Amino acid sequence: MRTTSTVDRRGMLKLTGGSLAALGLTAAGCGSGSGSGDGSVTIRYAWWGSDDRAKRINQSIALFEKKYPKIKVKTDFQPYADFWKKFNTQASGGNPPDVFQNAIGFLRKYDEKNVLLDLREQVKAGNLRLDGFRAGLEKFGEIDGKLLGVPVGSNSMALVIDRKLFAKAGITPRPGWTWGEFQAALAKIRDTQGRAGDSGMYGVMYLYDLHLRQHGKAFFTKDGLGFTEADLTDWWTRAYAGVRSGVHAAPGKVAQARPKSAVTAELAASEFTWDNFAIRYTAEGKSEYGLAPIPTTDGKRTGQYLGSLMLSGSKRTKHPREVAQFIDFMVHDPEVATIMGFDRGVPATTAQYEAFKPTDPVARQIAAYEQQLVDSGVLETITPHPAGADVCEAAFLRLAEEMALGKRSVPDAVKQYFTESETALGS
Amino acid sequence: MGTAVTHVPPAPPAVDPAAPGTAAGGGSATPSGGARRGRAHRENLAGYLFMSPWIAGFVLLTAGPMIASLYFAFTDYNLFDAPRWIGLRNFTEMFADPRWRTSVEVTSWYVIVGTPLKLAAALGVALLLNQKRAGQGFYRAAFYAPSLIGASVSIAIVWRAIFSDGAVVDRAQQVFGLDAGGWIGDPDRIVYSLVALTVWQFGAPMVIFLAGLKQVPRELYEAAEMDGAGTWRRFWYITLPMISPVLFFNVLLETIHSFQIFGSAYILGGQGNSCGPADATLVYTCYLYIQGFENSRMGFASAMAWMLLLAVGLVTAVLFWSQRRWVHYEEASR
Repeated sequence: MRTTSTVDRRGMLKLTGGSLAALGLTAAGCGSGSGSGDGSVTIRYAWWGSDDRAKRINQSIALFEKKYPKIKVKTDFQPYADFWKKFNTQASGGNPPDVFQNAIGFLRKYDEKNVLLDLREQVKAGNLRLDGFRAGLEKFGEIDGKLLGVPVGSNSMALVIDRKLFAKAGITPRPGWTWGEFQAALAKIRDTQGRAGDSGMYGVMYLYDLHLRQHGKAFFTKDGLGFTEADLTDWWTRAYAGVRSGVHAAPGKVAQARPKSAVTAELAASEFTWDNFAIRYTAEGKSEYGLAPIPTTDGKRTGQYLGSLMLSGSKRTKHPREVAQFIDFMVHDPEVATIMGFDRGVPATTAQYEAFKPTDPVARQIAAYEQQLVDSGVLETITPHPAGADVCEAAFLRLAEEMALGKRSVPDAVKQYFTESETALGS
Repeated sequence: MGTAVTHVPPAPPAVDPAAPGTAAGGGSATPSGGARRGRAHRENLAGYLFMSPWIAGFVLLTAGPMIASLYFAFTDYNLFDAPRWIGLRNFTEMFADPRWRTSVEVTSWYVIVGTPLKLAAALGVALLLNQKRAGQGFYRAAFYAPSLIGASVSIAIVWRAIFSDGAVVDRAQQVFGLDAGGWIGDPDRIVYSLVALTVWQFGAPMVIFLAGLKQVPRELYEAAEMDGAGTWRRFWYITLPMISPVLFFNVLLETIHSFQIFGSAYILGGQGNSCGPADATLVYTCYLYIQGFENSRMGFASAMAWMLLLAVGLVTAVLFWSQRRWVHYEEASR
């Protein structure tokens, strides 16, 4: 006699199969529209940054659309790391935004992949003015004779400090102070203020670059790493001792405070980062924040250079002229400068630089800081960043953190770093 | 298996995809083979039509990309330049890659520890909810709710906040004088908060267990009680064998599901290129994503995806093989 229970085993298979299938099909649709009957065109503009920057940019765009009624600008933004993931995927699919925020570390990478628009022709056609830039900034986006990016502002590495804590500890950093003096200051803050002096400088690629430049080297050469395993072992060995002694903040706590900075999360009294970050920290934290000079090896040379955010166009855009007009507007228009402030760094063009006179103390400090860099003549030229530099930066941060957490010995972390970088730079 | 009945095909052996579906008829007399076939054919056509959105989706969005990724697995492909055939190099590189090994370790640990805990929680609560009690419906809904929202991004963010330094869990620990400092930044503890998040979503298997428990005939318990069997014995000798098919189903599904964990690990682990402090929550799919979308090594990522498929396939096969020993279908027990 058969029982109905024979279905059980088979039913089980069906049920399993059905459930697995139900786990999902999701379709994503994407469309891109540009150009319409009345001769108006739409360009897509993408950038990375915070809500605050988004507000300012939207205001600037409203202004642009008023002046150029035939051009509509569609926007999109993410935080830094997510921005590049999305951009990479879009670009590989042949659908990158027409115009987007860019930085030095990505120029070569995306030029090699044929993504970036050479803006030279638009300059020749008069749609984009390259005059009126400060401090030779217009050269920053040039690679192999092509104009791949136009700087919107300048920034430089700095030691962003909690001014109240530094004052209480009786420390006044002066230009040209040495690494020894800097270390002593960190220890003094730890001992008198009960807080770590620094947030984790050993993982900041751009700072290590400066340290190397002070010794006549650099982080990158044209196609590889510009330092040896022994150099990095030395850098990280001293860092690990600093973590153990509490001069650097506990790496686990710094990690979980993210996306908040260790300085505003009150885990450390200072952090090496870009000078315009002082604005973000002021919005984020309770104390007063300011800038201190980069420590030196010989009492003079900081190894610093001006860096910059840029605007780039994509090679596949159907509207290179409108892209150029938009970039021109964003870098030259005085009204944009009053809206953006120092959010993108100190404005790159003199027209915008003069249009915005900072009134709040933080912006004033940034202006003074960069002015001092220019006046003292410490600025050097930037060294090239090969394709794969972005992957090297991320790996540097991650392996430094593993080393600091004690999850990897220093020699092991160094070895792993060289392996990963060679893969990233080799391809 | 239900193949005891000899199936006599009523029609000539023409190509008839409907044949299996008519098995219920068991060789009943057909008035006219041709007309029946015509109707069946039309019904099939309608069936396929109704399925067509799903079939199109499967072919275009699942099967197509799968075949493409099988090809990419043997190439060096950075998304921009044409893929370059490199044979097995992605695989040899994978086995030599310490980060890949870390991801395998993290994932295995997660599957082996997380899945049983989740199923134990699901079964435990299902047993409680199976009793007649006031407000039963409310409890069921309340316990099921986490699995509806648990996989969402926002919950993972909340979870991150709960287990952070100075947050709820940390303070509770301090009350008991336990070592404080937060779980999220601690490479040795963050995985436990990930497992906790998984276990908390026991609702789906719980509902399936509950359905299974309802099927267990009351008279078995009554008979056992007459013989003096206690609660534990009744659970061990009646409940567990009777629901073993359901248990098997849940084990299978949850294991496969665990292998595929991504979102919660990625968010809990936090920022940028690393998944957790010192790769503590670098689950397999997380590393796959990093290689594919951050390092633009789509060939390597594809190879990783196929390794995962193989591993999941293998584990599934082992589970199916093992069910002969511990899963009791009703036919066998009668």
